[in-house]
Order: sequence, then C-alpha cells, then structure tokens
Amino acid sequence: MFNEIKNQFATNDVIIKRDDLYKVSVNYERVFSLIDFVGDSYNYKTLNAITCTDWIEDNHFAITYMLTTIDRRSTFMIQTMVSRENTKIKSLSQKFKQAEIMERDLAEMYGIDFVGNKNLKELSLENWVHTPPLRREFDTLEFVNNHLTFREGRDDNVDTKVEAKRLRAIKKAEKEALKKAKEEAEAKKIQEENQDGK
Amino acid sequence: MILLDLVLMFIIAYTFGFLYYGLYRNITARFQRRFGPPVYQSFVDSIKFFLKEDSTSHGWMFYLGPIIMMSGAVMTLFFIPLFNTGESFKGLSEYGNLFLVLYLLVLGPLGNALGVGVGGNPFGVMGVTRGLTRLFALEMPFYIAVIAIMSLSGSADITTIATEQTTMNAIIYPLLFIGALFSFIGMMGQSPFDVVGAPVEVYSGPASEFSGKFLALLMSQSAIFTFAKLVLMVDLFLGGASGFIELITKTFILFLFVIAFGSLYGRFKTPQSVDFLLKVPTIISIVGLILATWSS
Amino acid sequence: METGFLQEQRTLEGDLNSKTSHKNSVDYLMNWFRSRSIFVLAYGTGCGAIEMPPTFTSRYDAERLGIRGAATPRQADVIIVSGYCSYKTLRRIIRTYEQMSNPKYLLALGSCTINGGMYWDSYNTIKKLEDYLPVDMYVSGCMPRPESILEGFIALQKDISNGKASSWQKYEDNYEFYRKNQEAVLGKTVEPSYEADWYLYDGGL
Ligand code: SF4
Repeated sequence: MFNEIKNQFATNDVIIKRDDLYKVSVNYERVFSLIDFVGDSYNYKTLNAITCTDWIEDNHFAITYMLTTIDRRSTFMIQTMVSRENTKIKSLSQKFKQAEIMERDLAEMYGIDFVGNKNLKELSLENWVHTPPLRREFDTLEFVNNHLTFREGRDDNVDTKVEAKRLRAIKKAEKEALKKAKEEAEAKKIQEENQDGK
Repeated sequence: MILLDLVLMFIIAYTFGFLYYGLYRNITARFQRRFGPPVYQSFVDSIKFFLKEDSTSHGWMFYLGPIIMMSGAVMTLFFIPLFNTGESFKGLSEYGNLFLVLYLLVLGPLGNALGVGVGGNPFGVMGVTRGLTRLFALEMPFYIAVIAIMSLSGSADITTIATEQTTMNAIIYPLLFIGALFSFIGMMGQSPFDVVGAPVEVYSGPASEFSGKFLALLMSQSAIFTFAKLVLMVDLFLGGASGFIELITKTFILFLFVIAFGSLYGRFKTPQSVDFLLKVPTIISIVGLILATWSS
Repeated sequence: METGFLQEQRTLEGDLNSKTSHKNSVDYLMNWFRSRSIFVLAYGTGCGAIEMPPTFTSRYDAERLGIRGAATPRQADVIIVSGYCSYKTLRRIIRTYEQMSNPKYLLALGSCTINGGMYWDSYNTIKKLEDYLPVDMYVSGCMPRPESILEGFIALQKDISNGKASSWQKYEDNYEFYRKNQEAVLGKTVEPSYEADWYLYDGGL
C-alpha cells in the first residue's frame, strides 16, 4: 500500500505511528485524489476530522484530514501544507456531508476560505470582527487587556511570588537573628565560664 | 340572598382551592422525601404575581384568555351545588343542569386557546394543541360514565342525582366510577396525563406567555376550578355531602387519591395518552354502562 | 429543641424575620410576599448550573423556602447567571433578562462572574458581570456548593424583604451606562437574532 502511494503521489513522507495509525504528507494538489484513492482502494471511507496547525515560524498551515475505515479499526492521516495568507482550499463538503461543519469551524478559527462550502458562516462565535482567535498572531492577553475591564483587586491582593519571597526573606532574617542571639549567648557563656575559671 | 350565597361559595372555593394546592405541593414533597413548602405557599405565589408589573402586551384578545378561563371556572362552580340537602350553598344549580356544567367544563380551555393563539408564543400554541387533542380523548370515558349515571338516576339535575344515591354510585357501578376517574385525573392535570403544561417539554405550555396579574388570575382560576371539579365528582359518584365536614372529607380523600396517583406515574406522550384514554378507560366505561343497564 | 432539618429550617427562616425598615405595613406585606415566593428561571450558563439541580431537588430542597423553578422568563423573578458567560451567552442573558417582568433580581454564581475566574485571559468571556447587567447578589466559589447557593438565596430574600434589592430599578435608571458597556463588547447589535441556523441549512431538518 505504501509503496503504491509513494510512487503514485510522489511523496516520501510516510509515517507508521501505530499499526492502526498512518500518516502521509503530500502536496496540496494531490490531497483530494489521495483521499479518493485510499477511500476506493483501502476502504478509508469515513472522514473523522479536519484539523489545522498554525506553523507561524514556517509561515504555513498544516491541514490534516483524518480518515477511518468502515470497521473503525484503522485511521489514515493525510497532511498537507498551505500558505497562511489568504488561504483558499477546496471544500470536501460535496463528498463528505460532515466536512461542512468541520470546515465551518476552521474557517471561523483560522480564517481559511473553503471554496465550494455553501454554509461557511460562524459556528460558535458571533459577529467576530477581530483576527480569527486561533491564529497565533492573535495575542489573547493583549486582546483581553484592550477590550475588557478587570475587577480591581483588594488592597491585600499581592502577587504570590513576590509575597512568598518577601515572607521567606523575613523568615530568614528572623532565623539569622535567632542564630546570632544564640551565638552571642554562647560566647557570653564561654566568656563567663572563662572568667569563673580565672 | 342568592348573591350572598354565591359570594360565600366563591370564598369557600378560593380558600379550599388554595389550601388543597398547598397541600398538594406539600404532600408531593413528602412523596419525594423532602420537607416541602408551607401550606400557604401557593397563595403567596399568586399574591406575588398580582404585585408584579406586566411587561407584555399582545392586544386585548390575549388578555381575554385568562378572563374567559376565570369566568368559566366561576360559572362551573356556581352551577354545582355544594350540599345536597338544605337551601343554602346551592348557587344557580336550579337554573342549570348537568348538561350545562359539562359544557362549561370545556369553556375554559377553549377561551384559553383563543388568548394563547393571539400571543403567538410557539410553546403556548404547542401546549394548547396538546390540550385540545387530549381533551377529546379525555371527554370520551367521562361523558359515557356521566350519561350512564344520568340515565340510571333518571334526571339531569345534580342535586337529584346526589340525593337519590342511598349507597354511593361508586359502589354500585364501580366500572363507571373507574372510567370517569381516569379522565378526572387528566382533568386535574395530573400525571400521567399532564402533557399540557409540561414544564420540561413545552415550558409550562399555555401559561408560558402570561406574566404578572394574568398569571395570578390563571392560578386562582385553577384553584377554584379544582375545587368545583372535586365537588362535581363527589356529587355524581360519592353520594354528595350533607354538611361541611362531609364535603371536605370526601373531596379531600378524592384529591389525595388523585395526587398519590399522579406522583407515582411518569408522563405519557400526547399520542400515548390519547391512545390510552381512548382504549382502557373508554372500554371500562362502556362495559360499566352495559352492566349497569343489564342489572337495572 | 428541634433537631435535624427542622432545626435547620428554623435557623434559616430566623434570619428572614429580622427587623426591617419600612414606610408602612402595606409596604412590609408586599415585600414579605415577594421575598417568600421566588421563581427561578431554569437557565444555566457555565459549570455552576450543575449545582442547581441538587439545590432544587430532594437533598437541599429549596422549595421549603418558597424558591422554585419557572420555565419561562415571563414567570420568573430571579435569573441565575451560573458561571462564565461568553459573548454569545451574554446576548441571550440580556434578552432573557429584559423579557422578565419587574420586579426582577439577578443572582450571580461563581468566581467567573465576579472577576473572570479561571477564564481571566479568555478572549471570549466577560470578566465583570455587573458592568453589563445589575447584580443583586454574588455567590463566590468555584463552583459554589448548594449550601452556599441557598445561603445566597436567603441573603437575597432578606434584601428583598428589606426593600434593598432594587437592581431592576438601577438597570432602568442607568440604562445608557449598561447599554454602552454591552455594545463595547458585543457590537451594535446586542440582541441575538431569532433564527437558529444549524438545523435549518440545506432545506431543513
Ligand atoms: S466559577 Fe468555576 S465552576 Fe463556576 S463557571 Fe467559572 S470555572 Fe466553572
């Protein structure tokens, strides 16, 4: 099977993760024919999930299609790299009905345009106008700081790390003072003994 | 004189209706192993709703619904004599007979359907549809039993029917009583026939769009109507009552039976309850009718 | 001396009958009726909603204090915001709150409604509920146990019978303030649309 795929789809990137989990990376142009191929010849006929990983350093998205056999015993992952900017991907919703909602999710969270999906509106967000929230250039903390107000803390609300350091310092100082006092007392004692001895 | 009578009847029905409702909630709570609200809780609820502001408006037709229901309940009450002896607490019963009461019993639901339909709340409409569907099935066994009782005692006058029972109708014609009892449980809105106001499925059904004073009106209406229906059952099947204590005892026993039955069973779906009511109680009633005519 | 839940009941109710400051006896009676009958909207957001069923069923039995569930906002007096509210939920809460009839109260559960809780850096949940809707009573905890919910209810009842709980008045008086805050996070269209899309696509169910 893998030799066939390697030859036909011009890829060397085949990973056998477990005996029931395989992963193949191919060029974007060959993805859909590969999906058809494994579906027809090897019974991977169910689309489980479409996932997306944001590789901001390499400036691409890794899109993974997960296909399962009909007896649910084996899973086949097909990965492809697409550009991060103005991403346009052919929709799978004609072949798999369930792809529609997965693509909606990705479109909303990463801003990917799936060409051919008729129902590509927001899934769980509503009227979202900012950067799609799962892209990595979206800084959550900055967004929260800019858009939402926090409740002011109480006066005794302090940073725990700083506070722990301060308390530790106090404890240390106390310990040292105690030690010093002890040493002094001992020294005095010795002195007194010495004096007595004289 | 008759006016005073009517006012007193209204007051009695209002008080005992709410008392029974409070007891109903308390007793169901005990069935479920909890402490339950105080007896006056239903009354407090209704007064609180009277104190609320109304925020909805769907035109006057919408508000007519609860008012028609209330007048239907009060009219039903007035045409049912509380006692079968003596002159007082007879209301208007000499001017109307059982036929009129049977007609008035369905006036309320129909009026409510009118109001809810105007409101346009989908859950309200759904509840009303369920209610009307169930109503047809509900009436079948009840009407058969009541008509049998009417023809057996040879009168359509409730007082006559109540007085003529030397032994209770429920004992002589048990099958008729059982058949009528099934529909009565449904009429009281108890499980397993409580599809109309199911809070889980249709969000309290017909009442879902009403708020404030009109909801309070609906609550008072159902309290009064409950009492009226209990008295009707007692008059028809349990030999009526000659005194106050007898009336309260009999209605309360009947009520206790109904709520005990209600808390034991889950809810039928609408088609299920129609199916059941058209099969089991109707057949029981018909067999009762045949047996009764046979023996007399 | 009573024991068990009877004693608990007395202790809880003892709090309610404390001295109140009222203009006249009608006022007193009205507030008494209001405090003794509380219909809670059966609506839950966030994880705290899971603690509400035990509060209302046999174990903790809120009905003994006159607190019971209502199915629709038209009949409810109290809405519980039981945890984090995302923007999407907030729209629904606002609509539901505005559909309730006066006097109405709002009870907020959990640290998420107070300061964002563990969702403090989430881009999609609000951090301070009282900026968007007037809150009568906060119950802290993550999540609050039914005991604390009951305690919160009793504090609310005390406020109602004292005539102190008047958040609906506050909402009406400061409507511009609340509206401004709502629009700041939700955009110009605060109310959600009535259409439910996910089962209507492609020609229906
Ligand atoms: S406060 Fe805690 S329990 Fe409540 S919604 Fe937030 S995270 Fe969940």
